Amino acid sequence: MADSDNDSGGAHNAGKGSEMSPREQDRFLPIANVSRIMKKALPANAKISKDAKETVQECVSEFISFITGEASDKCQREKRKTINGDDLLWAMTTLGFEDYVEPLKGYLQRFREMEGEKTVAARDKDAPPPTNATNSAYESPSYAAAPGGIMMHQGHVYGSAGFHQVAGGAIKGGPVYPGPGSNAGRPR
Amino acid sequence: MDNQGHGHGQNPSMGIVGNGPQLPYGSNPYQASHITGSPGMVVASPGTIQSTGQPAATQLGQHQLAYQQQQQQLQQRLQAFWANQYQEIKKVTDFKNHSLPLARIKKIMKADEDVRMISAEAPVIFARACEMFILELTLRSWNHTEENKRRTLQKNDIAAAITRTDIFDFLVDIVPREDLKDEVLASMPRGTVPVTGPAEALPYCYIPPQHAQQVGAAGVMMGNKPVMDPYAQQSHPYNMAPQMWPQLLPPPPPEQQQSSPDQ
Repeated sequence: MADSDNDSGGAHNAGKGSEMSPREQDRFLPIANVSRIMKKALPANAKISKDAKETVQECVSEFISFITGEASDKCQREKRKTINGDDLLWAMTTLGFEDYVEPLKGYLQRFREMEGEKTVAARDKDAPPPTNATNSAYESPSYAAAPGGIMMHQGHVYGSAGFHQVAGGAIKGGPVYPGPGSNAGRPR
Repeated sequence: MDNQGHGHGQNPSMGIVGNGPQLPYGSNPYQASHITGSPGMVVASPGTIQSTGQPAATQLGQHQLAYQQQQQQLQQRLQAFWANQYQEIKKVTDFKNHSLPLARIKKIMKADEDVRMISAEAPVIFARACEMFILELTLRSWNHTEENKRRTLQKNDIAAAITRTDIFDFLVDIVPREDLKDEVLASMPRGTVPVTGPAEALPYCYIPPQHAQQVGAAGVMMGNKPVMDPYAQQSHPYNMAPQMWPQLLPPPPPEQQQSSPDQ
């Protein structure tokens, strides 16, 4: 099978030895995190061999490269330079991971709502302008009629209002919500 | 700081009565599913499986029953898993605490030279997607562990899950050939001795001593090739399974004998 990602070559070599060099470890997610997630899918008395954990580490990196490669191809066809969340969701659908997309859509939606708050409150700390522009562009379509600026209320539209109570705690950009002036100026 | 940004199903039934689950988007533009993997890739591995002759009805029935039970159990687990995922994600309010490090995800994405710029939301989405991926792969692998009556998840269990699941075709190169071969060879004697019933081993059938009987897997192996729909797989054993039996009725072919020393 021809893999479109250059990264796959390295994964093959890494799989042959149980000892990984520190540099090779950089190409995998931490084995402790992977192991913890695996245990959530198993009964309490189940055990996981070390080579199984390492194999899943490799599989996850391959999954990231697989999806990223497809999303990157799409961006190039459309003459865009930045891969965003929608590109990843599209790639997952194309590559057969439809089951993942519905939960992730809700996740992305709510992340953008909160990111909007952070962007306004901590503009100086954000990444370079192009990234900001990209985030802003994809935030606009998500806005319902909520000119009040407290964007958490948009949760009502999707029937999950009750879970936004602690949302404020996640925003550390400032003690109060900024004015919605800059948001209102953006096209929808 | 707590590394887990969400609960571990402590309130699985939490919800607002009267509020039906509303999707944030009116319609899904990607209704059709696409499989970009090559089925031939999987076919190449089980090259030793050939179909000739006629099936044995009695053992076929026992095989079917055990297989169906195992498949139903796996499907129930997967359904519960996806339902739980949707509910859990609804509760996430803190996007700073991820179960996976965003910087590492970004580095892996950047390993591809074609990838230039990545928006801030991309690693966040991947953190969640990778968690789902690990959970699904582990669930499917554990199914194989249980078939072998073990309590330790091993590398060959992951190899089995990859072989049996279409969307995991891109991972075939990750697992060594030995693990794949074990999976293929182990599927040959499955049909002769159901795990749930008394053994009626045929005298001329070769049963690898290193492998416990795995009745259900044979059907899954067959059903995995033509379609992606997990429910359709349940019906395929009726079409595919008969082809398993003829190999065992006549004397073992030369390829089979050659494979014996490898065990």
